[in-house]
Amino acid sequence: MSSMALYQSIASGIVSGCVYALVALSVVLIFKASDVVNFAGGEFVMLGAFAGLGALTFLEVPYFLAYAMAAVALFFLGAIFNKVVLEGVLKRAKHGQRTLVAMVIATLGLSYVIKGGVRLFSFTEEVRRLPSAFSGPPIFIGPVVMQWQDIAIVSISLALMLALYIFFQKTLTGKVLRATSQNPRAAALVGIPVQLMQLYSWGLACAIAGVSGVLIGAKLPVSPDFGGPIMLLAFAAAIIGGFTSLPGVVIGGILLGIIQNLVGITISSTAIAVTPFVVIMLVLVFRPQGLLGGRHRIKKV
Amino acid sequence: MTIKRLSQLRIFSVFLATALCAGATYAADPGVTDTEIVIGLHAPLSGPLAAFGQDPLQAAKMWYEDINKKGGIHGRKIRVIAEDDKCNANEVGALARKFVTVDKVFMINGGSCTASVVGAQEFVNREKVPFVMLNASGDPAVFPATRYVFGAFPGSQGAIGAGIMGFAIEGLKGKRIAYIAHNDEYGASNYGAAKALADKAGAQIVAYERIALSITDVTAPMLNVRASNPDVIISAAYPAPAVLIAQKAAEYGMKQPLVQAIQGIPAPEVFAKNVGNNDALKNFYYSAPVNDLPDGPKQIKWLEMYKKAYPDRLVPSVFMVYGISSAMVVTTALEKVGKNLTRERFVDAMETVKLDSGIMAAPFEFGKGRRDALRAQSIFKFDGVKSTLMPGFYTWDGSTTSPK
Repeated sequence: MSSMALYQSIASGIVSGCVYALVALSVVLIFKASDVVNFAGGEFVMLGAFAGLGALTFLEVPYFLAYAMAAVALFFLGAIFNKVVLEGVLKRAKHGQRTLVAMVIATLGLSYVIKGGVRLFSFTEEVRRLPSAFSGPPIFIGPVVMQWQDIAIVSISLALMLALYIFFQKTLTGKVLRATSQNPRAAALVGIPVQLMQLYSWGLACAIAGVSGVLIGAKLPVSPDFGGPIMLLAFAAAIIGGFTSLPGVVIGGILLGIIQNLVGITISSTAIAVTPFVVIMLVLVFRPQGLLGGRHRIKKV
Repeated sequence: MTIKRLSQLRIFSVFLATALCAGATYAADPGVTDTEIVIGLHAPLSGPLAAFGQDPLQAAKMWYEDINKKGGIHGRKIRVIAEDDKCNANEVGALARKFVTVDKVFMINGGSCTASVVGAQEFVNREKVPFVMLNASGDPAVFPATRYVFGAFPGSQGAIGAGIMGFAIEGLKGKRIAYIAHNDEYGASNYGAAKALADKAGAQIVAYERIALSITDVTAPMLNVRASNPDVIISAAYPAPAVLIAQKAAEYGMKQPLVQAIQGIPAPEVFAKNVGNNDALKNFYYSAPVNDLPDGPKQIKWLEMYKKAYPDRLVPSVFMVYGISSAMVVTTALEKVGKNLTRERFVDAMETVKLDSGIMAAPFEFGKGRRDALRAQSIFKFDGVKSTLMPGFYTWDGSTTSPK
């Protein structure tokens, strides 16, 4: 393995990792807010990508507007799903009845509904890539070659993560959301509208997934099946970093991107596909809470 | 017994035997009468894969109707019963049973998806009903060959792998070849044939990268390819990874020719748009089973024939002509059998078919142990705007080797 290949693998791994981290953020946000793993997370990413594609190619809006439209559309979709389906499951549950399985199955069902709905449009038969926001010859950072789109992905991802950090740490709404996710009962006792906060969390998480979709869709060709593999990698990133830690999933995502590439150039390309699962197993065995996760706890899903 | 009586008995016996034999011959198979032959036709007409089935099925119907207008086959008109198989193995299995037991068809001509045609294989072989695929490659259904199943009109994965390797060696004079394929049975099939050809020609496969269908980052495989310093890069990847490979090759400044198998480039103009950089396609080629572009001189008549029959189909899919090919082979075999048509005779006739359809890269051919129709590929050069047909076609001799 040459040093050039090593540096290139690390640089490209950071780019991919930022993408996994963004999607993982969306998953963890929902998990922290409602204790539900959103198995439709990948489909929200896919929907965001198609929303961006539609906005850019049919409506011919500028890129920043495509991001905004995807974010807003997915925000409302996530919020409506939370309000109509998940709250509905909770309302129908008898006192003391466990609802976690029903809610997880609801998210699984949602993933199929979204995929099936997207397939209704003949436009989605062909794989398509979003037009690049940034074009031009590749840039060289030492021996490493990068595209402007890659720089954009890393920059936007980091900016979004920073914005989320500021939102959760410094704004009142962010603190309220954190309080709700940490202890819903206590939050309710102090007058926080817990269901409304969970609705906002779902909306925000899905908006992030939508923005991720537009970002990723400019690099990877988009199809109705595009979300599944991305979701798997996001899960791996979340498990590595810690399902309860937002900074953790960022680190987990970037680490996963780098590890995959290093496995590819040192072992074989075939091994790339199994790398996330091997890493998941290792993390679950040696540090089940993840790198930056909180106290070790087990929940049956 | 008198001699006269014996003679009468002999004559009667001969007469009885002849009547019985004739009766056995004309105890016709289902789906055949003096005036018609009934064919069960199926393809995905709905669902996400309808694009693979609608035009080929309609094209096959068009061919049969054209034959009927010209008088049919030995006085028999072809009657088609068309169904939607949704590209689903269970659906195809159920349709095969319906065609045979309810509709009493003579034969089945259908299937656009490899995974789905496998669903009928066991049934049609057990019931001894000829099954001729429409536009499915159907590798698992034609290898190993079974008596009643014929297919791979667009070429099997073996034909594709050997075709692109053949061009890399003969057309581009490559001696050091890098090969990228998927880590599934189709990838193994096309690589096996490609490697067999490379070994025979004395070319060296300097890199063999097996990638997942769902791969999102081809950095590592392409770094490995670059490190191997090939003369030619071959990709048998599907559409999404194929785009990434072309992009990455350009990003890393790799000037070697890139030859992409047909499965990765169903629509060249969409591929170019996805790659997003025509400079990446300066030295780009792709394989196809047809002998010309859809609007090229060799194909235009089929396009015009189809548009006349179906004026609402403004832009037929590239798979349309595969349906004509399949139906053409069926009617050729029916003609060969003659008036005395049975399923067994039809299968025997199919085994002798050697037909230049005027559509595909090379003539179709079946045989006693061969059920894959096409073993050749054409090559097109594509610069992001225009495709140009390269001279000749590249043929697979049927040999394969286990990938290391």
